[in-house]
Amino acid sequence: MTSSRTEPRTLVDVEMPQMGVSVAEGTITEWKLSVGDPVVAEETICEVTTDKIDTELPAPASGVVAEIVVPVGETVAVGTVLARIATGGDAPAAGEPPPAVADAEPAPAAARYSPVVSRIAAEHGIDLATVVGTGRNGRVRKQDVLALVEQRAAPAQEPPLHIESPYVPEPAPAAAAPAPAGGTLSLMRRQIGAHMKRSLETAATCTTWMECDMSRVEAARRQARVGDLIGITALPIVARATIEALRDFPALNATLDGDRYEQHRAVHLGVAVSLGREGGLIVPVIRDAQELSAEGLAARIKDVAQRARANRLAPDEVHGGTFTITNPGQYGAIMATPVINQPQVAILDLEAIVKRPIVVSDDDGNDMISIRPQTILGLSWDHRALDGALAAQFLSAIRRRLESWERG
Amino acid sequence: MAADGELATRATRTLTYLQAISDGLRTEMRADERVFLMGEDIGVFGGAFKVTDGFVDEFGADRVMDTPLAESAIVGTAVGAAVVGMRPVCEMQFADFISCGFDQLVNVAGKMHYRQGLAVPITVRLPSGGGFSGGPFHSQNPEAWFMHAPGLKVVAPSTPEDAKGMLIGAIRDPNPVVYLEHKNLYRRVKGEVPEGSYETGFSARVARPGDDLTVIAYGAMVHVALEATAPEQVDGASVEVIDLRSLVPLDEEAILASVRKTSKVVVLDEANATCAAGAQVAALIAEKGFEDLDGPVVRVAAPDVPIPFSPPLEQAVLPGVERVKEACRDLLAY
Repeated sequence: MTSSRTEPRTLVDVEMPQMGVSVAEGTITEWKLSVGDPVVAEETICEVTTDKIDTELPAPASGVVAEIVVPVGETVAVGTVLARIATGGDAPAAGEPPPAVADAEPAPAAARYSPVVSRIAAEHGIDLATVVGTGRNGRVRKQDVLALVEQRAAPAQEPPLHIESPYVPEPAPAAAAPAPAGGTLSLMRRQIGAHMKRSLETAATCTTWMECDMSRVEAARRQARVGDLIGITALPIVARATIEALRDFPALNATLDGDRYEQHRAVHLGVAVSLGREGGLIVPVIRDAQELSAEGLAARIKDVAQRARANRLAPDEVHGGTFTITNPGQYGAIMATPVINQPQVAILDLEAIVKRPIVVSDDDGNDMISIRPQTILGLSWDHRALDGALAAQFLSAIRRRLESWERG
Repeated sequence: MAADGELATRATRTLTYLQAISDGLRTEMRADERVFLMGEDIGVFGGAFKVTDGFVDEFGADRVMDTPLAESAIVGTAVGAAVVGMRPVCEMQFADFISCGFDQLVNVAGKMHYRQGLAVPITVRLPSGGGFSGGPFHSQNPEAWFMHAPGLKVVAPSTPEDAKGMLIGAIRDPNPVVYLEHKNLYRRVKGEVPEGSYETGFSARVARPGDDLTVIAYGAMVHVALEATAPEQVDGASVEVIDLRSLVPLDEEAILASVRKTSKVVVLDEANATCAAGAQVAALIAEKGFEDLDGPVVRVAAPDVPIPFSPPLEQAVLPGVERVKEACRDLLAY
């Protein structure tokens, strides 16, 4: 490696990478290094965000950061030079630690955690430094972290009808995070804002509502026992019914870009996921959702929701949707006017399922009042692409499937 | 093959492990005239351990063949007979002696299907294991030799019921099967054995369910594991014992399912530690069960020395209840 020290200095460009086939640009959120800092190949040089997905960008070469071209907050196209690294000359060779590291104070020995403990902690968002270990020398054992998980779950309230919705319940109304008094909006909020505003400016948005009796769905999901899924939620069943209805009404499984309207054979289903107490919303896309059963959808929704909150979605997973479902029902709201996820032409809103007295008829045509779990399905649709009659027929097709639901 | 549900309702007899092996052989010989036996002193003498006692009277010398002291000839003849449609069962007097028949088993029987596309449905019975001062030539556990030779199946029952059902399964299997019967279980272990014919699949079983730690064992060590991890031995901890039953094929899913549950594993072999069956199990867990582990995968096995003749030395070399118990207590506290 000594030969590298005699090589002339050369500059290596750090470029905005192609982070998925459908990603065209990215925004620098943080520079990890400054000009003059030594850098080792594969070390994280900066963080980049694309459509709310954060990615760490590894340095392409070892050397010294010679120039930072794109400042934090700036959005640039794929392939744009972000920084330059000087290699050769006095630059540290690959594999050698940078001087800064060599000179640093030795870090205190960090606690080590077993694979299963690390995994459980990550799944439940537990800070292991706060866990009291009962193993040898105070080691945190699996049972210690499991006990904490159980303890957290203990004061569980009566579960709402939508259990395990991808929406995270707020901890408690009183403890809700206070809105910041002021300051600039976060990048996430600005992106959501721009996207929503663009949708409202672009689409001729109308909303149609339809009441739906969820008795069969509630019965089915209480009985469902599939693998590890102990009881599935109403959402995947509604999603499955919606996908089936979309196959009958392909006009709604479509995108409208300017004057270019295109129907899609496959249903790539977007599912809106709240990112929890820090706010924010992301819509991961379940590709080829028509291939999945309600149970399969339940598993996929759970998976993408968890990964969305852990900021582990791939950039491609939030693109290419053909229809979106949003489901903030567990806070008790019964109706909303969702904003269409552009360039799609409709979005279905599933709100709370509440027990209501309704009039039902028996086989002989006698009317009576019965207590039934009811919900209001809301569909926002783009009047440029379709008309209200079709929207109502589509909602009716979903309702018919839900009210006669037999699987699960 | 009998369905599990049906098997559970059958009449049973209490048999020793050895009697269950005899019962399995006799049952399959009565049912299938292609089945015949070869071995040293298995006819009039009834075999070194009397597994085939009385067989020559019932089945005749053509089907219970005494052979010269030539293991290579026994296995080689069996391979030829199997290729032309017979179902030979070879008895080694002691598992240790299979080394003389190694070439016929590993190079001829194990590779026949790969090279010529011919099935070699032979069963080679290996009375294995120590614990009775047999010394270095009569106490070995050579199963790993055959795990390392593609083309062979390797099984090692621990209970009388499995001994019978797995022997019948081995005879019917189209592959060469190395069947390890532990000598120290022959007359020491008794159990209920279903009447009639049944096959026990080559997959693992949960010998005792538990939540806090898993001991993975096979053959005689299953009994050591059960005794060493009874709740009173381990401060009330709940220890699962997995009986592998089959080493090739290895029941990966059963192993990984238990690791998922308990996150702590002791792998137990009576064989010498290096490259033993347990080493393969430990490697599997490291590779595919890593995310479920809450402690090191601990191995308990015989050290890499010949098995001593001296009783106290043999006791010190073979993994026993105390060693297994200490290993489990240590890992439980980790």
